Amino acid sequence: MSRLLLLVVAFVLAAAPARAERLVSQVSNETIEITSSFSGERMNFFGTIIPDAGSEDKFVTGPFHVVVVVLGPTQNRVARQMSNVFGVWLNTDQVEFSNFPSYFHVLSSGRLTDITDITTLTTNLILPESHTLAANSADWWKSAIFGRELVRLMTEEGLFGVQENGVNFPADNFYSARLTLPSNAPPGPYIALTYVFKDGQIIARKSEGFAVRKIGFERFLALSAVQQPFLYGLVCVVLALFTGWLGGVLFKR
Amino acid sequence: MQVYLPIAELSVNLFFLVGIGGAVGFLSGLFGVGGGFLLTPLLIFSGVPAPVAVASVTGQVVAASTSGALAHYRRGAVDLHLALYLVLSGVLGAFGGVATFALLRDAGQLDLVISVGFLVLLGSVGVLMLIESTRAILKQRKGIVVRERLPNQHNWIHGLPMRVRFKKSRLYISVLPVLIIGLFIGFVGSLLGIGGGFIMVPALVYLLRVPGNVVIGTSLAQVVAMMAATTILHAVQSQSVDILLAFCLMVGGTAGAQFGASAGKYLRGEQLRGLLALLVLAVAIRFGLSLVLAPADVFSMAVTGVAQ
Repeated sequence: MSRLLLLVVAFVLAAAPARAERLVSQVSNETIEITSSFSGERMNFFGTIIPDAGSEDKFVTGPFHVVVVVLGPTQNRVARQMSNVFGVWLNTDQVEFSNFPSYFHVLSSGRLTDITDITTLTTNLILPESHTLAANSADWWKSAIFGRELVRLMTEEGLFGVQENGVNFPADNFYSARLTLPSNAPPGPYIALTYVFKDGQIIARKSEGFAVRKIGFERFLALSAVQQPFLYGLVCVVLALFTGWLGGVLFKR
Repeated sequence: MQVYLPIAELSVNLFFLVGIGGAVGFLSGLFGVGGGFLLTPLLIFSGVPAPVAVASVTGQVVAASTSGALAHYRRGAVDLHLALYLVLSGVLGAFGGVATFALLRDAGQLDLVISVGFLVLLGSVGVLMLIESTRAILKQRKGIVVRERLPNQHNWIHGLPMRVRFKKSRLYISVLPVLIIGLFIGFVGSLLGIGGGFIMVPALVYLLRVPGNVVIGTSLAQVVAMMAATTILHAVQSQSVDILLAFCLMVGGTAGAQFGASAGKYLRGEQLRGLLALLVLAVAIRFGLSLVLAPADVFSMAVTGVAQ
């Protein structure tokens, strides 16, 4: 969480100097509600690049590139490696990554390496691998290997991804991007960071927050499991006893 | 129809859940076992995180055993005195099991221990049951009348100190083996998410010589009480009981169990035991293979905590 905050602070500071262009953007959903039938949700990110308030220019001149980075709540995650010990496969090695994003998707209007250089991509945490550099234990080499595997596993789960054709430009200075949040998207605060690139340089950026949260009955259940664990367990047992008893009564001829 | 499981944090097809609950319930009704040893692996293989699967199946086992336990109780086939001793030591074992469960999960070795545990337990019980039932079937073919074991035969286990009289079972035996059996099943059951009926019944019959008419009822009553306690322990300790998942399984399970029980009337005891032995062995082999075959992916990941 602290890393995320730092990122936001860096963002605000970097956005301060007046430039020729400004970004006006919008996210389609402020909250994504997880109901009992939640099976993912489609989101839209769109915006316009306009001349900055203090600028003399009446028009903006492209070509522009837009990169939208969607970050989920952070968690501590481990990547584990199995190896064969005396004929049995078991977990023998692991690296823990603290404050690792639980969801990370990059949408861009072109190949990331064509838009800008690797250093800019890494320092702004646009590449998935840049999030694995913060492993707190283990040596650098090991965390690099495990980090790459963790990114691969997260990608297979649909939690990490890079869509290099994810952002469209219907007009020269208007972009739109579409993202389908999967059903296993972890609940919590999300942040969408939008970068506008021109000639490989970041000329404007903006961050927007949205939340994925359980509502109604699901929220009630998840909360009570944590806040009232004893009562929750008791209710579960009573429910089981009742269901078992009812089954016996209903089917008895 | 998809249903979102709030604790497992994933969305699963409702009919799939009720369906596997019903299928396992049918088998559990047919063979008179709780079915946890089938349900937990099935859930793990279909993507539910192992901790959630184990803890939620514990709740389902309570439901699956309740109707059977009640039916036996009405018939007077439950030795409550004996069950009480088993439950008390079982809950103690469950405390140990749930604590070990949390330790193993944090160390990343929970899946390994679950696999090895199922392999050893199901493998040995399955082989023993298969041998016993094959012998019984062969003897029946040859026309030999099988002499039932006399319930009052004593062995060295009965001679241990601290003897207690169990009236309903017509036993006057040491409580030490009773407590050890309870402790062991409590520990293993909470660790693997199984009721342990398939270990309890042979242990009561062969080790303690509990008469046949109260064995099943007493074992079921013990499973209900001990698994109820384990569910609460899991809820408090690891907060991984998914009540929605458990409920879907319960509904399918209790319905399926009724059909299984009536289907069971068409099969003879030793045939049933032989089939159950094959089923148990199949699950054991599945776990054994997962240990020795090269995994599709040597890397795996897990969430260890929420960042501060």
